[in-house]
Amino acid sequence: MKKAVSVMVLVAVAALSILCFSGIASAGEEIKMVGVITKIDIAGKDAKTATATLKDNKTEALVVITVNDDLTLDKFKDHRIVEGDEIRCKYETIDGKNVSKLFRKTAGC
Amino acid sequence: MKKTGMIAAVFGLALAATTAMAEHPGKESIAKSGYKGPETCEECHPGSAKGFMDTVHWKHASKVTNVDGVDPKKEYGMKNRIYVMCNGNDIVNNLKEIPKSPVTGKSKFTGCNTCHPGNHLSDVGSTGPEAEAAVDCLVCHSTDYDFRQRKASKNEKGQVVMGQDRSTKAALAIGKPTVKNCMVCHEAAGGGVIVKRGFSFTKDTDAHAAKGMVCVDCHKAKNHKIPTGHDPNNWANDNVFISCSDTSCHGGKPHKDADLNRHSAKVACQTCHIPRTGGAFAKDFTVWEQTPDKFYEPTTLKKEANETTPVYAWYNGTVKNTPHFIGPKGSRMDGKSKISPFKIFQGKAFYNKQTGELLSMDFAQPMSNGDTRAGVLSAAKTLGMKDPEKVAKEAVAGWQTIYFGSNHLVTKSKALFCANCHAPNGVLNFKDLGYSDKEIVRLTSPELFMKKLAEKQKEEW
Ligand code: HEC
Ligand code: HEC
Ligand code: HEC
Ligand code: HEC
Ligand code: HEC
Ligand code: HEC
Ligand code: HEC
Repeated sequence: MKKAVSVMVLVAVAALSILCFSGIASAGEEIKMVGVITKIDIAGKDAKTATATLKDNKTEALVVITVNDDLTLDKFKDHRIVEGDEIRCKYETIDGKNVSKLFRKTAGC
Repeated sequence: MKKTGMIAAVFGLALAATTAMAEHPGKESIAKSGYKGPETCEECHPGSAKGFMDTVHWKHASKVTNVDGVDPKKEYGMKNRIYVMCNGNDIVNNLKEIPKSPVTGKSKFTGCNTCHPGNHLSDVGSTGPEAEAAVDCLVCHSTDYDFRQRKASKNEKGQVVMGQDRSTKAALAIGKPTVKNCMVCHEAAGGGVIVKRGFSFTKDTDAHAAKGMVCVDCHKAKNHKIPTGHDPNNWANDNVFISCSDTSCHGGKPHKDADLNRHSAKVACQTCHIPRTGGAFAKDFTVWEQTPDKFYEPTTLKKEANETTPVYAWYNGTVKNTPHFIGPKGSRMDGKSKISPFKIFQGKAFYNKQTGELLSMDFAQPMSNGDTRAGVLSAAKTLGMKDPEKVAKEAVAGWQTIYFGSNHLVTKSKALFCANCHAPNGVLNFKDLGYSDKEIVRLTSPELFMKKLAEKQKEEW
């Protein structure tokens, strides 16, 4: 009986740690970049998602970012953010998509 | 219970008012005759453009009575103030095209008065029929504004004009200002999104935004005079004020818990309910950094909203104002002060060697090639200072510390509770706040909160 309990505890601990690890693994890594928007694709006024292509200032690579947050979508819709704007962006790769966590114009003083 | 019920009802109303926005009664008429600017609105709202001329939003200035060393007969604001969050003002940093970058050969438009609802030909503080016709009513009232129109360009006479969306389409979507309308300018105050105050107003960052409230639910305006508070670094005001404890909002005793209400006499609501602040905490205007587009920006250290721990100081609504410090005045003993939260910001800029006064800077030159003394020279010329070359050449770098009030980013669930202040490692430095050693022993004893927190702990499990 005593043994059974301790095995169960062990299994539970193992399960927990697996959960924790896998939790970390699937969360993906947050990547930061600064780049200029070369293209915005958004489907109309009620769109709940959009993509923006950024040209990375450091590598000149084109990165397609998926934007889902309402505030940024709204800025695409009313053109407060437009092609040519320079953006500071943080994103995570989830299921092959670069999903934006922060998407902000760099413009200063 | 009754009170919470009432508060809920008020929130409910506010929500209903914002979600089910009634159609603007003028819509049909505007659709028929098109939008020609304020004159269209004036047909049914006579005097609104003229009235607007006499507001902070048009003048970027007002008389100021609570700040040390200002002339009570003059007006102060973004138009003419000099401090180190933005080391210039509308006058020295008037909207213009900057010299071409020596690297890329490109120029761009910049100027503080882009955050003004005029067209730049009628600028900050202008008056008369032309100014009245230039007001951009829609930037605050339309939910269908095309911001591609709202940018600077040169007209055929070579004058710099600030564009507006004056389409009939935009004028068909009129209503009370939404959060977005206000944030067009407020979100990026201080040189970029979140910079000045970490001001984010979303359901994740503010308890009122989470309830669906908008700016003007609190900042209710009459004749475009928008009420404000007493932030030590927002001097200009329309002479109407709001505070959290206004009876029309929460009153002075908003809690069921008498222990919390008792603190209102000495502790500002914001101290408990705004435990974090954010935005830039230091800038260097003497050294600008090159950005990837090869223009330059003042070196800036930033944090996100809710990432900065505030400092706490007694504040009675009056402001100390010297070349190296702008911040709250007050004391434990004056009977008017409350302990209030602030963000401390420090900025480095040039000072006049002769007078010790803080100088201002035109951003056009440093933005183009990083030459900050050229910016000081240009500003000194614009202001008509004596021997501007000498002023710029001899200018000495120095730091100014300024305090920003913390009046948004409100939370209920993370509000400070007894032990956050009364435990020995609490957020308040009782000694700096003027309490004696003997008082501090009492104020940091679990005696004050043991029973209450033990009960709470039991409830929560
Ligand atoms: C044909 C008449 C007419 C015209 C033209 C007109 N309005 Fe109105 N407007 C009204 C009436 C009627 C009301 C409701 C009563 C009131 O608040 O004065 C109203 C209400 C408003 C309100 C309050 C809305 C609210 O939900 O609280 C705003 C803001 C407003 N109008 C702005 C404008 C602006 C800006 C223009 C010009 C683009 C304009 N109006 C043109 C008739 C008009
Ligand atoms: C994106 C819009 C925007 C731009 C551009 C802008 N400001 Fe402001 N500024 C604001 C807003 C909004 C406030 C008031 C609200 C606040 O302090 O949070 C303000 C307030 C100020 C104040 C305090 C005024 C007072 O009444 O005490 C000063 C000084 C100031 N700005 C200087 C500048 C300077 C200098 C520049 C240009 C280098 C500049 N601002 C550009 C939006 C802007
Ligand atoms: C800086 C933003 C701003 C600009 C620009 C602006 N308004 Fe307003 N307007 C407001 C605010 C804020 C209110 C008050 C909303 C409230 O308290 O519900 C208001 C209210 C109104 C109202 C409702 C009645 C009243 O006076 O309270 C009318 C009508 C109106 N505005 C018309 C205009 C017209 C016409 C123009 C252009 C000449 C204009 N507004 C420009 C912010 C602005
Ligand atoms: C076109 C840009 C712009 C828009 C849009 C705008 N503001 Fe402002 N606001 C400013 C600037 C700039 C200042 C600071 C002026 C100064 O202090 O000299 C300011 C100051 C203020 C102040 C403090 C001074 C005062 O008038 O009481 C309050 C409060 C305020 N704004 C609220 C609002 C609200 C609410 C809205 C939306 C209805 C709004 N603003 C829309 C630019 C703007
Ligand atoms: C829940 C009510 C409430 C809402 C919603 C609200 N404010 Fe305020 N705001 C206040 C109060 C209260 C003060 C002044 C507090 C004081 O100084 O005691 C203030 C102060 C300000 C000031 C002066 C500078 C400062 O930060 O102290 C500005 C500018 C301002 N608000 C703009 C806005 C804008 C823009 C929005 C919408 C995005 C907004 N406010 C939403 C209550 C509110
Ligand atoms: C000493 C800290 C403290 C001060 C000062 C304080 N509060 Fe609170 N307040 C709290 C805490 C903690 C809660 C959360 C209580 C809870 O969750 O039951 C709270 C809850 C609230 C609530 C929600 C009440 C409810 O029943 O849901 C409101 C509204 C409120 N405070 C407004 C204010 C106002 C307005 C002031 C200034 C007059 C103020 N508070 C001052 C700590 C404080
Ligand atoms: C924001 C920090 C803060 C929080 C949170 C806070 N207090 Fe206080 N409390 C103070 C300050 C500051 C004083 C001294 C006020 C004065 O000078 O009269 C004080 C005074 C008191 C006193 C009077 C002590 C004396 O001997 O004079 C009591 C009792 C007390 N608090 C209990 C509580 C309890 C219980 C809670 C939780 C419900 C609480 N406090 C939450 C800051 C806080």
